[in-house]
Amino acid sequence: MLPFVRFTNVSLGYGRNVVLRDVSFVIGAGEYFGLVGPNGTGKTTIVRTILGSLKPISGTVDVAHPQGRPLRFGYVPQRDTVDAVLPYTAREVVMMGRFRQLGLLRRPGAIDRDAVAKSLAQVHMEDAADRTFRDLSGGLKQRALIARALASDPDMLVLDEPTNGMDLASRRAILDLIDDLHQTKSLTVLLVSHLLDDVANHVQRLAVVDHKIFSVGSVDAVLTGTNLSAIYDMPVDVAQVRGRTVIVTGGRDGSH
Amino acid sequence: MGVIDIGRTILEEFPLALFGSVMVGTLCAFLGVYIVARRVVFLGAVLTQVSVMGLALTFLPVFPVPHTIGSLVITLITVVIVSRLITGSKVPRDSVLGVVFITSVAARILIMQVAKRVEVAEIDNLLRGDILFVTPDLFLLMTVAFVMAVAVHLVFHKEFMYAAFDPETAQTQGYHAARWDMIFYVVAAVVIAFATHMVGDLFVFGFLVVPPVTALLLTRSVKMIFFLSVLIGLISPVVGLILAFRLDVPASPAIVGVASVALGAAWLWSVVGRGGR
Repeated sequence: MLPFVRFTNVSLGYGRNVVLRDVSFVIGAGEYFGLVGPNGTGKTTIVRTILGSLKPISGTVDVAHPQGRPLRFGYVPQRDTVDAVLPYTAREVVMMGRFRQLGLLRRPGAIDRDAVAKSLAQVHMEDAADRTFRDLSGGLKQRALIARALASDPDMLVLDEPTNGMDLASRRAILDLIDDLHQTKSLTVLLVSHLLDDVANHVQRLAVVDHKIFSVGSVDAVLTGTNLSAIYDMPVDVAQVRGRTVIVTGGRDGSH
Repeated sequence: MGVIDIGRTILEEFPLALFGSVMVGTLCAFLGVYIVARRVVFLGAVLTQVSVMGLALTFLPVFPVPHTIGSLVITLITVVIVSRLITGSKVPRDSVLGVVFITSVAARILIMQVAKRVEVAEIDNLLRGDILFVTPDLFLLMTVAFVMAVAVHLVFHKEFMYAAFDPETAQTQGYHAARWDMIFYVVAAVVIAFATHMVGDLFVFGFLVVPPVTALLLTRSVKMIFFLSVLIGLISPVVGLILAFRLDVPASPAIVGVASVALGAAWLWSVVGRGGR
């Protein structure tokens, strides 16, 4: 498997503040990779480094150049970070995903409009395409942002907390959609979340990020009760219910 | 005197006031849409005050440059510093703007005290927004700023749009969001510096805010918001100037008043007319 992203002994942070030390992992082409951990432990810092917005303090970060061009990331931010004062439609938001291909001076044309329509269809949003983005439900907003990422024709989809603040049904629908995109489009996916259940049942491999521990491997190897109890400093059990992994926290007295 | 006669008089006696106020009205109303969308409305107020302070500085012997140049230089320096401070600073954005606002107002008051008496009267005129006596030189400068600002926004519309809507993702797509922000603020600073000198701070700040907010209340299409905002920026100065002549009141407040009445009507329509839609 061609490595798309490779971190080798990387230390990350802002200025003199080192957030993570000695981080090493690889995300291969076509892989569905998860990045989990408590809030404020450096998940977003890793994502920013992968996307090129942040330079590592030390170590090397290698990003592949498929077909001799830079790797194209389709980034899906946390939807609350998008500031929609103006009433852009979902279609107009998705069109923003085409701007990189257009370059500085060109305006969107028929090819771009087709790409936008296809992306909206891939996330099953044809009927809501002309609704105002800011008036959409959390689930539909997330779909629109995923469609925007798809419109940029990405090699790798990077989703930052895509199910944050959603009800159960919407969470499931978004995760199923990401599964579907990974399988049918053979997209490489990086799913970042603090919701362990979401990641555990969908990704192929994952990394658990914490100030004390950075471990990478299969879900079964990394998401263990011992690891999670150490990271969250409380009793945590990992169980199987109807074939799905569930994470259960123990009582306040430390009982499992 | 009837409305048509007043209109003819304005056109014949004060053509630069008419066309200048329409030019500033439409341009500020257009830029104002971006300013409102970026939630930096207070920056408009700050830059108009900084621009006036820069202008006032030129009345002092220590800053012997033409008024417009002084205003432009001080406004540009401020916008470069402030745009860096409001992105990524530990101090909240509105606090940074508040500090700059109050400092420039205080500096202007002090300068007025230090300046000679006759010059104080001149600064006063400027602050009141006496748009009836626009000079051809200033009108020409404003026209250049108008063409430059419109050209930059027509060419880079999608970049400004993306950087304002979702700077984090724009950055991952190769857009240096902070750089586009800086270009936007510099263009706005040039326009505000010239426009404030020409029509006063009340007019400029009023048209950076009132027409865009009015348009936001009236439509749910981004294109229509730009169109309606510019339309209000075009009509209000004409109606306001006629009213100012008719009622013998200062022009700038009359013009801003007309735009504010339009805003009130739009708000009523959005509450009563459109109801729960």
